[in-house]
Amino acid sequence: MKQTAFAAFIAFWTAIVTLLSVHSLMPDAIAADTETVYTLEQVAAHNKVDDCWMVIQGRVYDFSSYIPSHPAPPGVMTPWCGTEATEGMMTKGYGRDHSPAAWEMMASHQIGTLNDE
Amino acid sequence: MQLVNRFSKTIVWTLAILPGLIALTHFTGTDFSTPGSLLNILGRLTGIWGLSFLLVAAILCCRVPGFDQPFGGLTKLWSLHHRLGALSFLLLLAHPVLLALAATEISLAAAVATLFSTQSSIIWGWLALLALMVFMAPTFDFFGQPEYQHWKWLHRLSGMTVLFALIHALMLNRSLPISIWALLAFLAVAAISYRWLFSRWHGQKNYRVNRIEHPANNVVELSLEPVDHLLDYAPGQFVYLTAYDSALTNGRGEDHPYTLTSAPDEPALRIAIKALGDASHAIQSIALNSKVKVEGPYGRFFPDSASAPEPEPELWIAGGIGISPFLGRLRHCAKHHTKLNAHLIYCVQDEARLLFGEELSRLMRSLPESRLHVHFFYKEGPLNREFIETHCPDFVRRKAYLCGPIPLTNTSRALLIQGGVAPKHIVTEEFNLL
Repeated sequence: MKQTAFAAFIAFWTAIVTLLSVHSLMPDAIAADTETVYTLEQVAAHNKVDDCWMVIQGRVYDFSSYIPSHPAPPGVMTPWCGTEATEGMMTKGYGRDHSPAAWEMMASHQIGTLNDE
Repeated sequence: MQLVNRFSKTIVWTLAILPGLIALTHFTGTDFSTPGSLLNILGRLTGIWGLSFLLVAAILCCRVPGFDQPFGGLTKLWSLHHRLGALSFLLLLAHPVLLALAATEISLAAAVATLFSTQSSIIWGWLALLALMVFMAPTFDFFGQPEYQHWKWLHRLSGMTVLFALIHALMLNRSLPISIWALLAFLAVAAISYRWLFSRWHGQKNYRVNRIEHPANNVVELSLEPVDHLLDYAPGQFVYLTAYDSALTNGRGEDHPYTLTSAPDEPALRIAIKALGDASHAIQSIALNSKVKVEGPYGRFFPDSASAPEPEPELWIAGGIGISPFLGRLRHCAKHHTKLNAHLIYCVQDEARLLFGEELSRLMRSLPESRLHVHFFYKEGPLNREFIETHCPDFVRRKAYLCGPIPLTNTSRALLIQGGVAPKHIVTEEFNLL
């Protein structure tokens, strides 16, 4: 048991270090659009399940293609389409934040930033 | 007794496995649709089981006298505690790695973010995991054999691990009823409170050292007179002894386990202690009339049937100070003229290390069916099958009890199994940190 535990302990840190090194060496795969600027009115026009934009923490996302693969049913996300949805992202409607992986996943859906003037 | 033993173990494992089983019922088909989601489920399950195993291991550490009996004694209860703790360690190490691997399906950045996030739940998780590694490292001898008191001190960090891990789990808990965590946490807190509060102030009995004898130059036999209540115990059981003599150079106020050598109805407790570590070395010169505390009794070395009118034939193999439980049983049988059919093979280095030699011979003479065979290492080398067969030809039909240094008990066990003794008829009570 002692050898197994020690092997697991080494394997754990090896896995963590490997993951971190590969991540730091790889170029950023996601080319999120951070240049285009939208107004809240423009975002508001995309308020349907198959054409769904949201503003989260000042960034604009197009989730139209993602909604079918979201773990919760589409009815959970659609009310937020076309709106400022940071609260929805941070509470899931019952006070629990989305996972760090979910936050990272959003990056690939970013289409611009919000004109906050 | 075996049935009770199996039943108690089943309850313990059921309690440990239950949270993960409940979680399993909440998963749906889509949760298994991609390799990533499958890894995610495994990551969550290893977390749930890691924590529930840890909590059940904590529940088993309480050391309430009597609680160990259905498990076959305290050392058996601890081996269950060790198995649960070690499994929990492996599961909890796998937990974040599996979740990070699951997130690589999204992106490498998502995998790194899964592990290193500023979300408070993740920070609590890391604190729990790091505390787990620190307190488990000496248990697994990661950095060499630990000193007992250091090990014990670091093992207290387990409380932190449990607390941080519970905070982490409750922050992320989705489908599991909170009551299952509350039940396990309540039992673990009750067990730890018993250990740290009740046992410290009320569970220990006050005794006074009223006689000190030296059966050899590095062995002391203390006779302890009760200040208030006398301990109720069976031959061969052990206690935790805390010495308070202010002149002790080591181990003052620390509790250490020692086997009782007295017969249970003697007016005083007797404990033989060999100088093996710092504390047991210091206690060799404990002052007469000094105060000690005794907690117990623990262990279940000899069976309940030991006092039956026609006892089963037994083979005892003792090494050095491992004579203690046998001495206690012999003193008890001789005092009560209880029938005893036991062959004792007592292994010692040489004549100078033969403990209680005269008394053992005298006690054996009063028990006509029992025999003492002394095995001297310097004359005969390691114990072998020939020695056992010559002195105890019918050893195969005897139930064997082994007590002594681990190399001796391991050798004896192997010899007996080779000779045809069923492993279930070989009894040992070894003290192990793991």
